[in-house]
Amino acid sequence: MYNWTDTQTRDDAPLLDEVTDFRLTLAQAQVSEFVDEIWWSVLIEVANVSIDEFEASVVDYGSDLLIPAAYDAADRSREMARQPITIYARKRLIDTLNQADNPHHVVSLHLGAQTSDTYLDFDATSPELTPVTVSDDAVVMAVVDDGIAIAHDLLRKGRVTTRVAHASILEAQPVLGGHSSVGRGLDSEAIDAALDAATFNDLLDEDLFYRSVGIVDWAATAVSTVAARTSHGTHVSGLAAGYPMEAACDNRPVICVALPNPAVEDTTGLDSLPILYLAFHILAKQAQRFCRADGSLVPVVFNFSFGNSGGPHDGTGLFATLFEHYFGDNRQWPGPDQKAWLTLPAGNINLGRLHGVAEEAGPTHFDLSVLPNDQTPTVVQIWMPTGTADSAPGLAQIAVTTPGGQSAVIPTVPGQVASLVNEAGAEIARLACQAGGGVIHRDLVTVSINPTAHLDTPGPNAPHGMWAIDVTRDDGPSEAAIHFWVRRDETLPGTRSGGRQAWFSNPDYVRFDRFGVPLATDPTGTDCPVRRHTTLSGFAGGEAPIVVAAYTERDAQVSLYSGSGPLARRDVPPVPTRDGPDLAAKGDDSYALRGVINAGSRSGSWVRLSGTSVAAPRVARAASDGICDAAGGGRDWSAHAAAQSPFPLADTTTPERAGVGGIDIPIPGFGRPPSS
Amino acid sequence: MSIFPQGAYGAYGAYGAYGAYGAYGAYAGAGAYGAYGAYGAYGGGSENPMLANAFITTHDGITGAQLDHVGTVNPGAADSTENLTRLSAGVRAALYQAELTPTVDVNFDADGDFPQAVLWRRGKEKRGGTVIKQEKMVQMIAPEVGQLQAQMKQVWGYAQIRPDRSSEILTQVSVPAPFFSTIGFMDPARTPYTLEFLYAALAFASSAYQRMKYTLAVKRPIEFSPQLQPMIPTPTHGSLPSGHATEAFLMARLIWKLLRHSNAPQYSDTAYWGEMLMRLAARIATNRTVAGVHFPVDSVAGAILGSTLAEHVFTQCCGGDWWSTSFDGTKFDPNDDLNWHLLYDAATDTMEPSAGEWMQGETQSGDPRFEPSPILAWLWSKAVAEWQDIETGAG
Repeated sequence: MYNWTDTQTRDDAPLLDEVTDFRLTLAQAQVSEFVDEIWWSVLIEVANVSIDEFEASVVDYGSDLLIPAAYDAADRSREMARQPITIYARKRLIDTLNQADNPHHVVSLHLGAQTSDTYLDFDATSPELTPVTVSDDAVVMAVVDDGIAIAHDLLRKGRVTTRVAHASILEAQPVLGGHSSVGRGLDSEAIDAALDAATFNDLLDEDLFYRSVGIVDWAATAVSTVAARTSHGTHVSGLAAGYPMEAACDNRPVICVALPNPAVEDTTGLDSLPILYLAFHILAKQAQRFCRADGSLVPVVFNFSFGNSGGPHDGTGLFATLFEHYFGDNRQWPGPDQKAWLTLPAGNINLGRLHGVAEEAGPTHFDLSVLPNDQTPTVVQIWMPTGTADSAPGLAQIAVTTPGGQSAVIPTVPGQVASLVNEAGAEIARLACQAGGGVIHRDLVTVSINPTAHLDTPGPNAPHGMWAIDVTRDDGPSEAAIHFWVRRDETLPGTRSGGRQAWFSNPDYVRFDRFGVPLATDPTGTDCPVRRHTTLSGFAGGEAPIVVAAYTERDAQVSLYSGSGPLARRDVPPVPTRDGPDLAAKGDDSYALRGVINAGSRSGSWVRLSGTSVAAPRVARAASDGICDAAGGGRDWSAHAAAQSPFPLADTTTPERAGVGGIDIPIPGFGRPPSS
Repeated sequence: MSIFPQGAYGAYGAYGAYGAYGAYGAYAGAGAYGAYGAYGAYGGGSENPMLANAFITTHDGITGAQLDHVGTVNPGAADSTENLTRLSAGVRAALYQAELTPTVDVNFDADGDFPQAVLWRRGKEKRGGTVIKQEKMVQMIAPEVGQLQAQMKQVWGYAQIRPDRSSEILTQVSVPAPFFSTIGFMDPARTPYTLEFLYAALAFASSAYQRMKYTLAVKRPIEFSPQLQPMIPTPTHGSLPSGHATEAFLMARLIWKLLRHSNAPQYSDTAYWGEMLMRLAARIATNRTVAGVHFPVDSVAGAILGSTLAEHVFTQCCGGDWWSTSFDGTKFDPNDDLNWHLLYDAATDTMEPSAGEWMQGETQSGDPRFEPSPILAWLWSKAVAEWQDIETGAG
């Protein structure tokens, strides 16, 4: 039997982030005796102090803190009004930093993922960033992805000569004397040496290469997808930066970060945001190594083909401002003279039923289908309209009801929290409200639900079935919608984390038209609060990135899954600078032939992948040809490029789904040179 | 039907007698050699009763009452390879086994700290009379249980790519000859003796590795964890050495030897073909770990055994130097995996003298008085001729 606790108010000790606390509580319940030993990636924002000053202030927690060596002496001494930093920490320190009134200048906190200490190097020293002089027409291609087959011939310029100038493999065993606090960093010399050592009779043994550099470790809990025939990062890298080896391409050096395998078994959930900030930090530093003969910095094009359903979806928050922090107009970062663009996918959740809205006064009801045998938590973010923290606390009442009928309700006032506990008193779900920090200026209510199954029984499991979330809005000063997003926790077939995706299962959501065709947009006049609009990836709301939707070539339609604008309305600055993606590129050959063909994990192999993930790198490839001469920013260039090389889409296409429209970017011969 | 236990889940009955070998329908079991199934009508003992009855009535109808004429008949060519082309493939297969099987012996040596299996080479030499000489050819010590427990991490990791490899694994349960025919141009019509040669070597190797497995009695991964759940049934025989690895490396090396001896230019200018054949062998071996029925160290031992047996089979055909190898599983780092480059160099077609403490190899001088089997020498010459370019006679 489950019971909700009475609604509490954390007046004494408000938390920065309820989901972080919920996950740490779950970890304690799962592995009580070891919980203090677990290392986590954590994204913190510190205000008006440097990293060095922050470190000094938590000196009592020194054994629970690892500040990555990627932050060098210059980074560590820099002081900013708000500065996001990725750290590795253990529960004792995280609990302290998560207190809203912590004395360590931490103003926001975001828990990432459990990280095995076998991948952490506490003795790593900051890398020496030696300049690399390249040709005047060179453009650095930066890829952040998982499973990147760096020995692929499309990323080489000779049998044992790589085009990859730097690769950080975040899930690899560190080497002695290394310069990476997590995983392993490889420069081109190291890659070339490994290529040479794995080449016999002029043939590269790629299996041996990936084992030798630590990318494929069969003894690891989760093996890199580079070991499989298809790997996301390889395909994406091939599209963005793959050129035939015979062409010996010298003007598109590649720098990349291979993220930890998303299949890592973290039964408290998994959040990649901290590791992404670290990845972008590593690559921002690496990109600054490249200069021309005259000393000017070389332009760089980033591609990051991941989506996220979390965040306020209005261009603010840590999700959307990741890139702005490093390369936005207002960056406080070295190398302002380096032109840098980023291509991002619009996301694939248009039909995922992960988004809903409560627009009007009165009640709104959501059915939330939580599947059995879900081995990771389910988290729903409920973002209030802007300004409510100051002007309309308690704009709404949020009620959560379990499949068994037990309900709890809280007003949308930061600090309000109610927990669902089982017979043993263990928390299995939490309903809580917290203030959105910084410029977000929205309050955030989170519904966190434990896994519904766990292999190590007895786990404090939550019941599966139809949960309900009911919102009752008062008439208030804000008429803007309250937005609901279910966080993604689905894992791909064949991987091990065992997440099963929850979704809003309202019966009045219309999936198909009268001919049985899936509806790509919300039916006109629908009363269903589950919506396709505002499903743009939570990463993609920022001002700078070129956001790419996917189209299906044969049908000349935006692909059904491709995320849609507009962004969530803001009544206070900064207002969103986009209505949706900037443009659309090919994500599918046809409705039947899903996806596009590009690099498989081994040289010479070709595989098919679908999604906005493959549309974005196609644009990155074209952007690398345009960035040197472009006078404006990346988004201006993309509009111009789409006009120059249009791919006509159906008349019904809206800017919310395709921006300025389709762009035709041929990649001859799947990246091979045109035949002579 | 297959004669090889690794591939014979449904056909163990056929393994009982080599007579079944006559039914070259075994090739059909491998998928790509269906045409060979026709031989079954002759060699498999499946005579047609209706036809036999027809023969009887025909005989009754046209034969007179007395045996009128018995002609002049020359005696058969005793012990001559000239007979071989007139024999059915099944009969020849039995002859190859008759030649190869007595050339080795396996015994169990418990004298050292760890039990070891020794594969002895029985050399037949002419010294006035025939002298039998026994020499150690392969010594194998199994890894300890603790090492296998450590290797379970890798087996568990490999399980993650089962969806990727399932079609390969399922089609390689039986003899993976079709996979080798994707590199070497083999076909029953084009290279019948090459196939006979390879299958003769495989049948011989099967006895050898089964005896080694039986002796070492290494447990299978399935006995180490209920979570492994192999994707195919685990064979009942021991885990080390891997039979699939033995067979795959044996085939790879023998095909490479045929290519090299053909003198066809495409096979002579580089070691690409040998390298590719060995890669394929390694993939086939590794797929068994992916399936969950072998430890990586099983493949290492199998690669050593298969490579050594390839040298042995070749010398039984052609004479010359042979190789002895030893594998000490107790010294194998359980964190390591199969890396065949440590064992063998395709460019020179030679085994390495050492891959570390755990593997030693040594070339052994062939006795000049050693006489290769005429039957096997005939088979080798027929097989290698299938790879030679056709001489047109044009100047």
